[in-house]
Amino acid sequence: MSEMKNIKNLKEFSTSADRFEGANLLCPGCAHSIIVREVLNATNDDLVLSASTGCLEVCTAVYPYTSWDASWIHIGFENGSTAVAGAETMYKALKKKGRLKQPERTPKFVSFAGDGASYDIGFQWISGCMERGHNIMHVVLDNEVYANTGGQRSSSTPIGSSATTSPEGKKSYGEKINKKDMMTIMAAHGIPYAAQVSPNKWKDMVKKIQHGFAVEGPVFINAVSPCTTEWKFDPKDTMHIADLATDSLVFPLYEIINGQELNITYRPKNVVPVEEYLAAQGRFKHLFKDEYKYLIKEWQERVDSNWAYLQRREEARV
Amino acid sequence: MAKKGWDEFEIGAMLRTFDGKIDNIAATQQEDRAYSQSSSYTASVADWRLIKPVFNKDYCIDCQFCWIYCPDVSIISRDKKLIGVDMDHCKGCGICVEVCPTNPKSLLMFSEQADEESVIANWPKKDEEEA
Repeated sequence: MSEMKNIKNLKEFSTSADRFEGANLLCPGCAHSIIVREVLNATNDDLVLSASTGCLEVCTAVYPYTSWDASWIHIGFENGSTAVAGAETMYKALKKKGRLKQPERTPKFVSFAGDGASYDIGFQWISGCMERGHNIMHVVLDNEVYANTGGQRSSSTPIGSSATTSPEGKKSYGEKINKKDMMTIMAAHGIPYAAQVSPNKWKDMVKKIQHGFAVEGPVFINAVSPCTTEWKFDPKDTMHIADLATDSLVFPLYEIINGQELNITYRPKNVVPVEEYLAAQGRFKHLFKDEYKYLIKEWQERVDSNWAYLQRREEARV
Repeated sequence: MAKKGWDEFEIGAMLRTFDGKIDNIAATQQEDRAYSQSSSYTASVADWRLIKPVFNKDYCIDCQFCWIYCPDVSIISRDKKLIGVDMDHCKGCGICVEVCPTNPKSLLMFSEQADEESVIANWPKKDEEEA
């Protein structure tokens, strides 16, 4: 039961029986459910899940319906990770006492949270889970905005993005603070595995999730989740935007093992200019006005220097 | 499920997805599961849709891109073969059409009223310029 699911190709993967149901109330074209499906289908084991408040939670558990076919709990905005950590501690205690009814089953503990519930509100709680070393996986569905409540900025919102609490206008180009580098912060806890994933690279994602399930200890996964409503693009273009995010290196795919070993897992053959990524989204539309054009150049420089930094880290094995 | 007023709910609620016991969900396909009334599988979001995907199996190469990238678990795939689209849960986002690699595409969006048989009969021909 606890052996790793063998997924060589997409055809083999497609024989999985989904444990996430349709008729949830997520927007058409939402990447959240694509990420959730890729995570849940990566294993055949039992699942103990939680979701912090956010789009995923409010849309998949609308009374009297639930879209989850596994044990799932929602408590508050901040404590999805600790709820799962508590369940994991109970599982370990019962196992030690020999009181589990089916001890051969090894459930996987996963908590889902948006960027608001991870970068801002649940930050301390996640940090606690990582520090205590629970055997859980925390998956961030990073759509860079509080999409559930109408598009307020979060600390994941990148520079120049227009959000309802940092709107663009005559005097402002939108968000002015750079995105928080959550991956480095989490890896600094010395956790066994931290990885950045994207739904369009399903194989990379499944490999990382399976590695995360296999290691003992807390795992942090940061998944980019293009939001059709707040990033302002057509629902059918979700995968195209995710492609642009990974190929323009705005969202590089890499992993950090034991907080010390960085591996870049995807190197795009043709690197797309950041301008293309920005142009595809309505939230960056104002950057193409003459007075804000310098920001696009700054964007490109920032992405380039970040990519160079990652490569240096990979080379130096730190 | 008996209808309740908006102020009659408990503070906490527990929903059971299945009627009775399922031992291994990961090995049970959707059609073999005994969903309860609490599962959103029994609900429908078909009325969200303005355009619908139509599947033409003549051109399908079973690459399963649409299966993996469908946000609504609406592409039904069994034994590595694509069977069709679950019209109760499809919201008509059109991702499946965008990711389809065949030429002509084996999934295309049509208006909700379009007759499936006639659109398959008039399926677009291979686009030489793109090929």
